[in-house]
Amino acid sequence: MEELVGEYWHRLITKRAATDHAEAQVNLVDLSSQLAPFYRALGGAPGKVIEGASPREFKLHRRLLQRVAGTHRRTNVTWQDERSVRFAPRHALFPDKQLNEDLYFWLTALAAQLPHINHWFVDNQNAVIEILKSRPGLAKKYYALVAAILPMRPDLDKLEGHKLARELAIQQALKEPGSVTSLPKASGDPFPIFLWLYPEPIHGVSIAADDELDDAPVENQNNEKHEQQKGARKDAKRNDDSKETDGLLIFMLESLFSWTEQVDLDRPQEEDVDVDVSGAADDLDLITLSRQRRAQSSSIKFDMDLPSPQHDDLAVGDGTLLPEWDYKRSIMLKDHCLLQPMLADDALPAPVPERLKQIAYQLRNRFSALNFQATWQRRQPFGTELDLDACIEGITSPNKYEDKQDFYKSHSKNKRELSCLLLADLSMSTDSAINAHERVIDVIRDSILLFAEALNSSGDPFAIYGFSSIKNKQVRYNLLKNFSEPYTDAARGRILAVKPGYYTRMGAGIRQSVEVLKLQPTHKRLLLILSDGKPNDIDHYEGRYGIEDTRKAVMEAKQQGIQPFCITIDEDGNEYLPYLFGDHGYAVVSDTARLPTLLPKLYLNLTGQS
Amino acid sequence: MTTTANNMNYLPQQNEVEIFSHAAENKLPVLIKGPTGCGKTRFVEYMANKLGREIFTVACHDDLTATDLVGRHLMNKDGTYWQDGPLTRAVREGGICYLDEVVEARKDTTVVLHPLSDHRRVLPIDRTGEEVIAHPDFMLVISYNPGYQNVMKGLKPSTRQRFVGMAFDYPSPEREVVIVCQESNIDKETAQKLVTLGGDLRRLKDHDLEEAASTRILIYTAMMINSGLEPKQACYACLAQALSDETETILAIERLIQIYF
Repeated sequence: MEELVGEYWHRLITKRAATDHAEAQVNLVDLSSQLAPFYRALGGAPGKVIEGASPREFKLHRRLLQRVAGTHRRTNVTWQDERSVRFAPRHALFPDKQLNEDLYFWLTALAAQLPHINHWFVDNQNAVIEILKSRPGLAKKYYALVAAILPMRPDLDKLEGHKLARELAIQQALKEPGSVTSLPKASGDPFPIFLWLYPEPIHGVSIAADDELDDAPVENQNNEKHEQQKGARKDAKRNDDSKETDGLLIFMLESLFSWTEQVDLDRPQEEDVDVDVSGAADDLDLITLSRQRRAQSSSIKFDMDLPSPQHDDLAVGDGTLLPEWDYKRSIMLKDHCLLQPMLADDALPAPVPERLKQIAYQLRNRFSALNFQATWQRRQPFGTELDLDACIEGITSPNKYEDKQDFYKSHSKNKRELSCLLLADLSMSTDSAINAHERVIDVIRDSILLFAEALNSSGDPFAIYGFSSIKNKQVRYNLLKNFSEPYTDAARGRILAVKPGYYTRMGAGIRQSVEVLKLQPTHKRLLLILSDGKPNDIDHYEGRYGIEDTRKAVMEAKQQGIQPFCITIDEDGNEYLPYLFGDHGYAVVSDTARLPTLLPKLYLNLTGQS
Repeated sequence: MTTTANNMNYLPQQNEVEIFSHAAENKLPVLIKGPTGCGKTRFVEYMANKLGREIFTVACHDDLTATDLVGRHLMNKDGTYWQDGPLTRAVREGGICYLDEVVEARKDTTVVLHPLSDHRRVLPIDRTGEEVIAHPDFMLVISYNPGYQNVMKGLKPSTRQRFVGMAFDYPSPEREVVIVCQESNIDKETAQKLVTLGGDLRRLKDHDLEEAASTRILIYTAMMINSGLEPKQACYACLAQALSDETETILAIERLIQIYF
């Protein structure tokens, strides 16, 4: 009963205290697909993601009602860091829906204009001036937004002293950007300026975990939980607890200030750990992450060691010896790498998964058009129409075509003289997460599958291999589909069963693929390489050595009439890929999630007849 | 800045006029690379005017064979007779033979280009057995767009290195404003807006758009505006719809248009 009453009270009081206009609410998720190109077009970094931000705490004067309701303590402001632009997940500031929408676009333009904030008050004004000058349409919107937002700012009559001076300065800066150069000091935070960008929160996040035990990502995490957060990401902070012993509370619980304070308590065994974890997370400003990654399900894995033969894929044959290029000595090391073809013999045949069916269907439709591209074949002994050129030639130079009577042309299917081998990087780095519920390998797997569906209907012969390596003694070359087998559920099963392997000895992978591709009788041979980073291995195969060897392998491929093309999701790819594949020999996909749909498109662009 | 030859305007991006003139003087063939609608064809037409040579333009397509360039036998009531193709005419009479998008043509076309593009400057016609020696004013110019990254198409290195090469790109914003103004007679302010919008759209290449907004498309938009169409509508029709088929991308482009018009 108490709980019920509490709930009603909470609902009532928050509703009374709310200053939002729920009926005019605009959600970020609905607009983000437009905001992203908008951001890029105005000069924003192409790789950045549009994301929701969690509310930030402001030290503000709250009205009694708001204090009672416990609202308005935190507010959504817009900010960006190296990786993403963070917007409020929803805007309901204005009673007019159009204005709320315009606010998103305005902030996007500002984010593109102002990638780094040095001085919050000055930089924002300067960026606004810059936009107003160059984009007249946005200027109109800006003044409309200012006019709408000024009445929402604190009442000037109720302020006095420093606070009044500060508020006056802000309002002036909004009305006439550039007219105020410094912000008068006053206690507390100024009321949030929703038309401006804020600096990113100060807590830095380092990505590398200290833990030597690398735990496998929890596969069965309940995805439903993520929906509650609606795209708003929490700030995260790494806490260095690696040196400390398990914590013990030696002070009164009452003296704990907030939820966010770190409690040095190791509780991996606590029961029901995931009960409403996301609910608790919503209440936190900051999620403190442990550097020890032994959370919840700690599984011990001997990193990078070979799996036992029973659990491994089936090794086919004794392997092939391949050379490697040593750039320091400028010699080809003969028979340096042992390449082991592997076959996932325990992968069960599987159909296209439900989630990909729709898009696979569309791709099949689109690519089957390639199959039926009919053209006129000239100088045919039989055909539907006379080939006039051939006839006239027969009359003008009878000697040349004495015995031939090929005077017809026929409309027939064009055989595309093209075979393609897709070589996918299955190294350990593909195990990293790209978002809450997907890893790079998942995206690569989906991409391969959709690519195969598309190519299968195009009629072009194709093969798919994956590779990873552990030094030169074992370069694993996973057969997913070879040229001669038909594309069936067995191949689909193997593709769906791909898992991250070890390291990336790219040179060996390319050399073997060239050997396979060379045997194809087609006129054109395309080697598509799907990668997620630089070539590297745990021996000396890293840095320049790996790059040089890969480059050598690429050049050999070109000399043998094979066209290599690299598709990478590594955002730094522009730095080294031109050296490896040439200016037009690669493509960087900055939005990894789009790879599955982009890959077939890239293939079309690469090989399209027109 | 704009130079005019026979009522034809051309605003040089760099020193392309000089390079082309020298190549013409030395009877060397020229290769022009550049993205769609950046002014390749306009440049060649302008240079032909300037040098006072006739121009034979062939837009290459994937069914274009050597026969289409060289010529063929035709029939009339008296029997068959030989008809020169555009290339042969240029070789005989003197003039610029411009093969637009040459990589689209069939492979056998490059074979007839080889003897023409080195010191021999001859065109052997195997059907008639004739070997046409090129007129002193004959000049071969080819163009293509290297940005398509198509493995099926591309010039063979042995073909490419017979030519004097020039790379074109979209002109700088200041120059583009001048070009748009001149071509469409639109006022400078609108032209400036269009060019800035074009610059924004070019940043979307490779991410959201397959091809960048060309100078040509901006000129078309300006022409539509100049003839009285409401600017926003002109941009929707000429830019948003012409550049993409994806609904979301079109919506984003429309948003961009709204910040200028």
